[in-house]
Amino acid sequence: MERYSGKAKDIELLDEKEVKIHFRDSISAFDGEKTEELLNKGEVNCRTSAKLFEILNEYNIETHYLKSISSRDLLCEKVDIIPVEIVCRNIAAGSFCRRYGIEIGTNFDQPLVEFFLKEDELHDPLITEEAAILMNYLSGEDATIIKAVTLAVNHILRNIFKSISLVLVDFKLEFGRSHEGKLIIADEISADTMRLWEINTGEIKDKDRYRKDLGDVIQHYKDILERLETITELPNIEFNTKTNIRISLKDSVLDPAGEVTFRSLKRNEYENIESVRLGKNASIKFSSVPSESLYKKTQEISNRILSNPLIEETKLSMEYFETSNEG
Amino acid sequence: MIIAGGFSYGDYLRPGAIASHSPIAKKLPEYVESGKFVIGICNGFQILCELGLLPGILTTNTSTKFICKWVNISTEQTSCSLLKGMENKKLKLPIAHYEGRYYSEPANIQRLGNNNQIAFSYCNEQGEINEESNPNGSLENIAGIVNKTGNVLGMMPHPERASFLYLGSEDGKIIFENLKEELTC
Repeated sequence: MERYSGKAKDIELLDEKEVKIHFRDSISAFDGEKTEELLNKGEVNCRTSAKLFEILNEYNIETHYLKSISSRDLLCEKVDIIPVEIVCRNIAAGSFCRRYGIEIGTNFDQPLVEFFLKEDELHDPLITEEAAILMNYLSGEDATIIKAVTLAVNHILRNIFKSISLVLVDFKLEFGRSHEGKLIIADEISADTMRLWEINTGEIKDKDRYRKDLGDVIQHYKDILERLETITELPNIEFNTKTNIRISLKDSVLDPAGEVTFRSLKRNEYENIESVRLGKNASIKFSSVPSESLYKKTQEISNRILSNPLIEETKLSMEYFETSNEG
Repeated sequence: MIIAGGFSYGDYLRPGAIASHSPIAKKLPEYVESGKFVIGICNGFQILCELGLLPGILTTNTSTKFICKWVNISTEQTSCSLLKGMENKKLKLPIAHYEGRYYSEPANIQRLGNNNQIAFSYCNEQGEINEESNPNGSLENIAGIVNKTGNVLGMMPHPERASFLYLGSEDGKIIFENLKEELTC
């Protein structure tokens, strides 16, 4: 049987489609420099992950989670993991503060999504979207979908945690491709992969307790799980996904309107202008969560109705906003 | 000077955008400054707005259709002497445009009203200015405005197409007669 052991989990390949993820009691920080075994940690993280994945699935966010098969094992879709970790930040903390010298606890006006290369040897460095695309870790299409999905997950989790008096400071997601080729969220979502602070006191409830030797790590992890398990009804969340389609004439096709504009610019003595091409831009707002299938739907709308592929080419991007009047 | 309608500049970017950067347009602000009259009709109105000689902009009709029909407009008191004798009347004029929806920021619209710069508003047979009588979605039913000094007039309806009874109406004639009078005296 094929097996893979990570720092805190073992993955067992069941067949072409499914894997069993086993949560161990190991905890590690600083790229594995600090490690320990904490009693019940595997169980608490397994149950927290299952609960959070169930919540996300409930809101139609596509994840690898299928079901919980024991207190330490999850049945999940097998994925080819994308070697880029996605971090979403609402409040400055951790490496962000060290990198930019900003004070811990600084609130951001808007959530920030960052990419990190998943490579322990290099200490998981920050990677620009351009570099990640250039090195074929993901495509431009993957990047725009992943960012939008991450922001929607942030919107959901923030609401969920707020309802149990916790502040979601930041979190990490991993994405992968299922055997069907679907882009879905993988790995785990637990106190190991996020920062959570007590709403009133700011008390740290997450892995920073271990990193900073604050003690009572499992007690706090357990408290988060217990609060999550009190949630019976999920809050109503209004989702605002926007896809932008830029339509331009192919270079080989004459653009008379662009030509007229070009001549006007020249007449107004603007120099070194080679040509002007005009295009159209369409923004479509959806009241659903972002996903790869929504992106594909936009592609279909774009090719079937918005443009004529014979003479036009299109460029798509996807965005997510927490309120409908943004963007 | 009368800037007539007719989309002669293509209007690909916005109506009047290219025309307002043509060589002759560059001389217009100076011309207006000297107190001379400028009337912009339809595309001419759009060009005057793009030039900034009149406030606001004309954009796509709410119906997204080219509208060609007779409308009623009510006239208001303004400082424009070309509109002398037309105050508080109802006129029947044709419109023919795709981008005739007058838009400006709320504060500017209020200023236009306070300064008596709204010359024409779309109305019904009875002279009532309401939503039903608004053909293109113009804010406040605005069909035509004048500048502060009263020597620049922009309007979407076509007075020149309503200057003889055999055209269906002669309600627009008075503007040209007033212009003739202003120029001869």
